[in-house]
Amino acid sequence: MVLEIIVMVKQVPDSQEVVIDPVTMNLNRSLTRNVTNRADENALEAALRLKDSVGANVTVVSMGPPQAETTMIECLARGADRAILASDRFFGGADTYPTGLTLAATISKIGKFDIIIAGEETSDSSTGHVGPGVAEFLDIDQVTYTSKVEYKDGYVIAERELEDGTEVVKVPTPVLVTVLLNSNVPRRQTLRRKIDAIRKGFEVWDHDRIGLQPEWVGVRGSPTIVRRMRPIKERERAAKKIELSAVGDLVKELYEKNVLKLEVDS
Amino acid sequence: MAGIKPATPASKPEEYKNVFVYLETRDDRLLRPALEMIGVGKKIAEKVNEKLYCILLGGNIRDQAKEAVSYGCDVVLGAESPALATYRTLPYSHIIADFVKEEKPNIFLIPATRNGRDLASRIAVRCEAGVTADCTEIDVEQDTRILLANRPTYGESMLAEILCKRHRPQMATARPGIFPVPEKVKSAKGEIRIREISPDKAILKKEILEYRKKNVVDLTAAKVVVSGGMGLGKPDGFKLIQELADELGGVVGASRPAVDMGWISRDHQVGQTGQTVRPRLYVAVGISGKIQHIMGMKNSETILSINTDPNAEIFKYSDYVIVDDLYKAVPALIQEVRKYKSEKQVAPTEPS
Ligand SMILES: Cc1cc2nc3c(=O)[nH]c(=O)nc-3n(C[C@H](O)[C@H](O)[C@H](O)COP(=O)(O)OP(=O)(O)OC[C@H]3O[C@@H](n4cnc5c(N)ncnc54)[C@H](O)[C@@H]3O)c2cc1C
Repeated sequence: MVLEIIVMVKQVPDSQEVVIDPVTMNLNRSLTRNVTNRADENALEAALRLKDSVGANVTVVSMGPPQAETTMIECLARGADRAILASDRFFGGADTYPTGLTLAATISKIGKFDIIIAGEETSDSSTGHVGPGVAEFLDIDQVTYTSKVEYKDGYVIAERELEDGTEVVKVPTPVLVTVLLNSNVPRRQTLRRKIDAIRKGFEVWDHDRIGLQPEWVGVRGSPTIVRRMRPIKERERAAKKIELSAVGDLVKELYEKNVLKLEVDS
Repeated sequence: MAGIKPATPASKPEEYKNVFVYLETRDDRLLRPALEMIGVGKKIAEKVNEKLYCILLGGNIRDQAKEAVSYGCDVVLGAESPALATYRTLPYSHIIADFVKEEKPNIFLIPATRNGRDLASRIAVRCEAGVTADCTEIDVEQDTRILLANRPTYGESMLAEILCKRHRPQMATARPGIFPVPEKVKSAKGEIRIREISPDKAILKKEILEYRKKNVVDLTAAKVVVSGGMGLGKPDGFKLIQELADELGGVVGASRPAVDMGWISRDHQVGQTGQTVRPRLYVAVGISGKIQHIMGMKNSETILSINTDPNAEIFKYSDYVIVDDLYKAVPALIQEVRKYKSEKQVAPTEPS
């Protein structure tokens, strides 16, 4: 029996080159390049390593607009067996609730699964809420923020990194796991696999195919709304240039301005 | 309860009252983010004349319940059981969702720590509520009792104000290190309601095999933070950073890639996925100034950066810049600080 692993991925604007439209205060999508969320690449790699070690079928699932196809092909080219893009105009503008709902519904439509793996969070919304949301919709346990994931005899054994320590957990499948950014080095796509991936293609499922009502999803299914956006004004700082020869003066200035203090304080 | 279904709006939002905050603990001790939640929760509750309820789960929570009261909590809703001694997603989310259903809070705040986020989204889905993640400003509209949940977005360049108008409770997770810890008042009065609960075995299958506690440096309380980045070029670079930090009576911070390289442990990380610091002096050494790092240190009072690149982004956020090799600049700083101190004739400072 091979493991059925689902990997949740998202295509995001490249965080290195986000362009904000000064008039609408929204992301200028036409000027921003899209990439696969980096932590999701680590999620896929974690799945592929399980596939290498214990044998698994890896299905990639994403919710997004049609241009997410590049991400789907990329995942196949890295070694996923199947890719499904939940895409529908009704899905747009979703907050974390309908996003989780849509992904959970898609996954349950696929059928049996043992492990769902996602990245710790996406770089464009940074909530970390979608993975746990999916687990709740599917009524399964979860292990978040993992640096190491193993599978043995019906159990996932994983290491979770918390603020003040590492928690080693053992949990029976089915379970949802989220993996930390940079917790592994994703394998590269080979040209050969890429050609195969393009030939094989991926599936696109709409709300009807997944079994969702239009009013359940996207902006209509979202409990939260963005009322307004305002630019965060940063304090202007002088960036006063200090030559190496003037470091002594700087030290003196810092002490005199009480930025540094001679006595210990708390 | 779980199941694939949409979020139904609250039929009578006006029936939802009071503010819930979740008190995160470790080994039955209240964590600092828990205290931060009490502070912001209390402010909101008072603004709309409601009570602050603190949600506390654990193996042995009587003392922490009293402590929560001394920090300003009006009612502690607790669940106690040996099975709850360590945080686990399923029992915690099930019990807390039950508390929500019984008490119908209008607002529910949870720290945006790792376990806080692990929990918040489960509760939101379970209760069909709306949740805004990682807020840095939280307020409430007095007349409508609508939560104003503000979170940075687009690489911290914008602040989005997010509302949840029709669903209850209105949930938010709050970024640790942003909200102040309230004053402790020994004589404060509050009600403590602790239940002994034995959770269903079916939701206790996750086993915690081990907890390897790290020696944690609390960067958030430090007055001086000296951080090293990839510019150090090698793990040994942190020895130099440590030396400067010691000399300044401060602690060592790091950029994420330096942590990912294994040069220093994760608890030193500053930034979006690390700690948020606001010391009197932040020294950024060999750090380029990518937004995820900036997020964690931009509110420092004074910022000094050292970078060979005259166009380094970090300079935009700096009060003082040294455009030079850190392996020259940091020893020079250490030497000058020693010189200054010896002129003033004081003993070396201990890390604060
Ligand atoms: C989702 C997500 C979350 C993240 N969270 C965080 C986070 O919490 N914290 C964080 O820090 N990053 C985080 N990052 C990573 C972040 O985007 C940057 O990659 C990181 O901050 C860069 O680290 P750095 O400045 O040390 O390295 P680099 O960007 O490589 O910069 C090194 C700098 O050192 C300078 N330098 C080189 N040699 C010398 C020398 N001899 N003397 C002086 N200067 C020298 C260079 O000019 C350069 O500016 C996150 C990224 C993502 C996608």
